[in-house]
Amino acid sequence: MTKYLFNRLIGMLIVVFMVLSIAFIIVRLAPGDPAALLVGPDATAEDAAQLRERLGLNQSISIQYLTFIGNALQGDLGNSIFFNQKVTTILASRAEPTIFLALFSLIIAISIALPIGIYSAYRRAGWVDQGAISTAMLAASVPSFLTGLLFQRFFATDLGWFPASGYGAPDADFLTRMHHLVLPAIVLGIVNSALILRFSRASMLDVLSEDYVRTARAKGMTEWRVVMRHALKNALIPIVTIIGLTFALLVSGAVVTERVFNIPGMGNLVVSAVLRRDYPVIQGTLIVVAVLYIVINLLVDLLYLAIDRRVKY
Amino acid sequence: MRLRNLIISAIVAAGVSTPVFAQQTLTVAIVGEPNTLDPMASTKDLVSIVTQHFYETLYTFNSSWEVVPLLAKNMPQISDDGKTYRIALRQGVTFHDGSDMDSADVAASLQRWLKVASRGKGVADRVDSVIAEDAYTLVINLNQAYAPLLSLLAFSNSAAAVYPEEILGDTLKATIGTGPYKLASHKPDQYIQLTRFEGYKSRTEASDGGSGARTQVADEIRFIPVADASTRVEGLLSGQFDFADGLPTEAIDRIEQSDKAEPVLLRPFGWPILAFNHKDGLLVNRDVRLAVQAAISPQDMLYAAFGDERFFVADGALYPKGWVWNSESGTKAYGEADASKAAKYLKSAKYDGTELRILTSHQYEFHFKMAEVAKVYLEAAGFNVKLDVVDWATLGQRRNNPELWDIYITHSPFLPEPSLTSMYHASSRLGWSNPQKDGVLAAFNSTSDPAKRVELFKDLQRLVFEQAGFIKIGGFNALMGKRKGLTGISKTPWPYFWNAKSL
Repeated sequence: MTKYLFNRLIGMLIVVFMVLSIAFIIVRLAPGDPAALLVGPDATAEDAAQLRERLGLNQSISIQYLTFIGNALQGDLGNSIFFNQKVTTILASRAEPTIFLALFSLIIAISIALPIGIYSAYRRAGWVDQGAISTAMLAASVPSFLTGLLFQRFFATDLGWFPASGYGAPDADFLTRMHHLVLPAIVLGIVNSALILRFSRASMLDVLSEDYVRTARAKGMTEWRVVMRHALKNALIPIVTIIGLTFALLVSGAVVTERVFNIPGMGNLVVSAVLRRDYPVIQGTLIVVAVLYIVINLLVDLLYLAIDRRVKY
Repeated sequence: MRLRNLIISAIVAAGVSTPVFAQQTLTVAIVGEPNTLDPMASTKDLVSIVTQHFYETLYTFNSSWEVVPLLAKNMPQISDDGKTYRIALRQGVTFHDGSDMDSADVAASLQRWLKVASRGKGVADRVDSVIAEDAYTLVINLNQAYAPLLSLLAFSNSAAAVYPEEILGDTLKATIGTGPYKLASHKPDQYIQLTRFEGYKSRTEASDGGSGARTQVADEIRFIPVADASTRVEGLLSGQFDFADGLPTEAIDRIEQSDKAEPVLLRPFGWPILAFNHKDGLLVNRDVRLAVQAAISPQDMLYAAFGDERFFVADGALYPKGWVWNSESGTKAYGEADASKAAKYLKSAKYDGTELRILTSHQYEFHFKMAEVAKVYLEAAGFNVKLDVVDWATLGQRRNNPELWDIYITHSPFLPEPSLTSMYHASSRLGWSNPQKDGVLAAFNSTSDPAKRVELFKDLQRLVFEQAGFIKIGGFNALMGKRKGLTGISKTPWPYFWNAKSL
């Protein structure tokens, strides 16, 4: 077990280093000049050139790379070109809305998907099953920006139940900020429930046809006990995996929904950073996302141990 | 007993927490996050819109776009040769930190403006010195007369803002100005919160555009960056925003029908432009430029771009009707859409089918739509057209390299003084320069007599068409929106809110 964790840790470091390098290269392969954007449309080419000089963008790529890696190893991801602030400070300020949004969405997605998925598998081809599958297909197929806009228009503009966008005024307390997250969380919850639903249904279907389920029934156990204790527990591994990945996806990729609802989170930040060619911020976000994926994968793998005693590392 | 105590204390607490006077907060949705709060450092309109609330300039514009004094006491004394400007400052004006504004602050700010601001650098070689003559008098010495100077000093874009001397540097050390509002807090991409500056010394004349009294009605102004246009619409219609800038034109019907909001149509807002590359490539040849001018149909381009005649006007004059600069000089060449005439120009230019590269982006969808329509007309006239559709950051980079483009599409608000538009200048990235045009422009810039300047601008406009310096495609209107009953907001491309009040 210790050896396993040690190996995973080494693997993690290698992946993070590769991500650091690839992130650095990719953002610089894209054309576009952050300085020309900053000085504005009526500034001359010379104005942009002077700013590039001041920002250190005129240095050779290899020097920029070495500086970046050197600083990153010390936990310094550099300064944002656009905000003139530390990237780590910016990322920290975007973490709260994104993490809460991801948590809420995940809770909503699981509460929709898991019961329906289990029931659909249990009553296979029944009307709940068929209805759930078609609804899940629909939810997964409609782009989240459209769902977002429709919800925004109906629940915020027409009914006035929720704020249309943002993350609260400067003086907003915690509850007000969370109130701003309700609509986007529902949208993301619905969109992401589709995949979890399909996975839990498929996984349960597999397990329910196993011999030990028949044995359990033959022993005279209640249906509830058969399904929840014997079947679900064995079906959980793929479900937990997909929930873990969904969470990672939500934290790193709620790009469109954050944009539509103007939530100042990581997704919104990365889109803006790309449009602004804010290289250090793009790199920083990519690294955080990579680390997040690695950590969540590790946690999911460790969770297998708790779920299934046959799993050994 | 305990329950009763609890209820009583709850009632008392509720009573205490209800303010006697309701705070008036104005929430304004803007199109994005300004990259700097230093108006000298950027020519972006977004930066102007926000910073003009806390930084002021010596002069400003009234609603007829005439230059009027703001921090200056009155209009300057200008020597007969037009080279010396003696500017008296208002006394008793204080900065947000409580310090007094004097000529040392203004001189240091203007010197910085000449060094770091794009528009300042543009006049720096004409300025010999900026001197604090006494505590409240400033003298600007020029080496040649330059009539647009006052407009530059008044403009909020790449602004000659006045800072306390102590905060100056390559970047500002703090956000301290003399404006009616001061910066309270700023969370990038989330909000910029301004509160009323209690020590503000307003001018006493009646408010008119940017001039006169700034009454600071709202206690607080909050600028909220909202990148998505439809999100700004929903925020306005749901009552979340008191004002929203940059709304999509198709939202006008919903805003008109709303019981919470009403549209603000800025008519006209600005002009889309085909910027020509005079430095390199095909369009260095005047006949090829004239062929482009003859070939395209601005009417169709505008229609494709804006879709609704409420939002554009097909008009060749470089300034719209009602402006002192408006004239029909040379506009016969506007909007001919004459493929055979264009073909003749191409023949005389011995056009060999070289690609005509039009650089555009989806950042402003109307740019792209106009490019598509132009392409069809240009091809009908015999051009071989290539659309280079890139994102805005790439466009910003490529247009600085003359080897990479022939035409790029852009737009500008109508600026109060023609010389503020960089495209006339030989040093702009278009590089439009020849003795005839440069001579007219030099005369226009150095003449101080307003009537003569109007005549000279007619000549300049005629040359824009005769030489196809660039193409003004037409005029377009901008849609903004405000809460029903909100008054005191002037219609300008750079809206300000110090006189805004709700009924």
